[in-house]
Amino acid sequence: MRFLLILFALLLPASAMAQSQVALNSQVFVERTTTDSNGAARTSLEPPGVVTPGDRLVFVLSYRNNAAAPATDFVVTNPIPESVVFAGTESAGSVLSVDGGQSWGALAALSVRNADGSSRPAALADVTHIRWRIAEPIPAGGGGELRFRGIVK
Amino acid sequence: MGSPRLTRGCGFAKLNHCSPLHYAAGVLAAGTICAGAPAYAAGTPAGTVINNNATATYDLPDGGQNSVTSNTVSLIVDELLDVSVASTDGGDVSVAPAAANQLLTFRVTNAGNGSEAFRLTARDNAGGDDFDPSATSIVLDGNGNGTYEPGIDIVYVAGSNDPVLTPDASVLVFVLSSIPAGATDAQRGRVDLVAVAATGSGAPGTAFAGQGQGGGDAVVGATGADAEDDGYYRVAAAGVAFVKSATVADPFGGSTRVPGAIVTYRLVATVTGSGSLANLRIADAVPAGSSYRPGTITLEGAPLSDAADADSGEFTGTGIAVRLGTVAGGATRTVTFQVAID
Repeated sequence: MRFLLILFALLLPASAMAQSQVALNSQVFVERTTTDSNGAARTSLEPPGVVTPGDRLVFVLSYRNNAAAPATDFVVTNPIPESVVFAGTESAGSVLSVDGGQSWGALAALSVRNADGSSRPAALADVTHIRWRIAEPIPAGGGGELRFRGIVK
Repeated sequence: MGSPRLTRGCGFAKLNHCSPLHYAAGVLAAGTICAGAPAYAAGTPAGTVINNNATATYDLPDGGQNSVTSNTVSLIVDELLDVSVASTDGGDVSVAPAAANQLLTFRVTNAGNGSEAFRLTARDNAGGDDFDPSATSIVLDGNGNGTYEPGIDIVYVAGSNDPVLTPDASVLVFVLSSIPAGATDAQRGRVDLVAVAATGSGAPGTAFAGQGQGGGDAVVGATGADAEDDGYYRVAAAGVAFVKSATVADPFGGSTRVPGAIVTYRLVATVTGSGSLANLRIADAVPAGSSYRPGTITLEGAPLSDAADADSGEFTGTGIAVRLGTVAGGATRTVTFQVAID
């Protein structure tokens, strides 16, 4: 398996690379469950060496305020990649979209329109985007990490 | 399997999902193979790239807004090697002893997510049976019509025309065997069809670096990339036993063989076994010193004419003959006729 890490940041204009930026970094891991000699299940996050349908992925977004001033109303949006089914998040403060990012809410508050015009409650598989709004300003030098899970379709 | 082909679509059966059957080193025309499911049962096709990135917006102290885009992480979905084999005979295939080219039919399905060639083997010496058939050839249903057509369907040669199946696609495989002459009625003979992914097989999780379709690795899936199913032949043989008896009625009400006495011969054919006998015929000569009594032939109690005509019995001038046609095992046929002692 080839793990491609394409650093788009390198291609951005120099101004975007200035220290007055909040840096946002995206990583992906595969969650593997192994059974140890005592029969206990052990879960670990591994670099995505070999990935096949059904594998559980953990996407990790880390951010850091490199500017001298605090960043307020920090909102991170991540479209769920194609070929991945959203499988939840452990990071608080998220809202979801099932319509390509037009409307947002908790999963239980979202619905999906059927072909016949009726609608049904949204499921994890319907999620197209996840978004976090960080309530507290990020102080200079401060940062954090956000995670969500997916399963390779 | 490194073929980049991922051909989908169906020309003639809208509800079915069809894809061409390719041959790894094929000079033969591709047939069309249909699989039932319209979606990829095996998931995302091998070689698919999953990209993820995020964007963030935030407010600056001066009231402006800034946005930032993360790097993009990409990973390639590797090829899962999985295969399934299923007998489609729906039960034992009835055969006769010493018969050649007897068919067992299997369906081999690519249960993985990449285009893959499969190596086929017919194992004819598996246990769990009464005799070992001799598997003589494996034939691929190249035109996908579900019927074995000698000379039209393609004789399989391992390593030469291993069937290449796209994800979810399947091919019907015929195994032709000879049945030993010594096999007896109701005995069963087993042949397994084994299909193994050409890229590799083994314990689930075994990886073949760089050998997956689309540039990733190939990884053995839950089936071990090695599947088999068994098919059974069942011998349907039949035998026949004849019993002849005679009843004498003399002119005086007794049963003495005197001139003028009438002898009723009763011929009973009993067919045994689970098969049937074709063109079974009963014939008996009129004994010397007696004369056939016209119009006395019966089959199962019903009279037959003496003439060689549409009904199944006749008097030949020297004896009687009755054609019984095909008689199944367990059935009996009773023929009677009478003679007068000269």
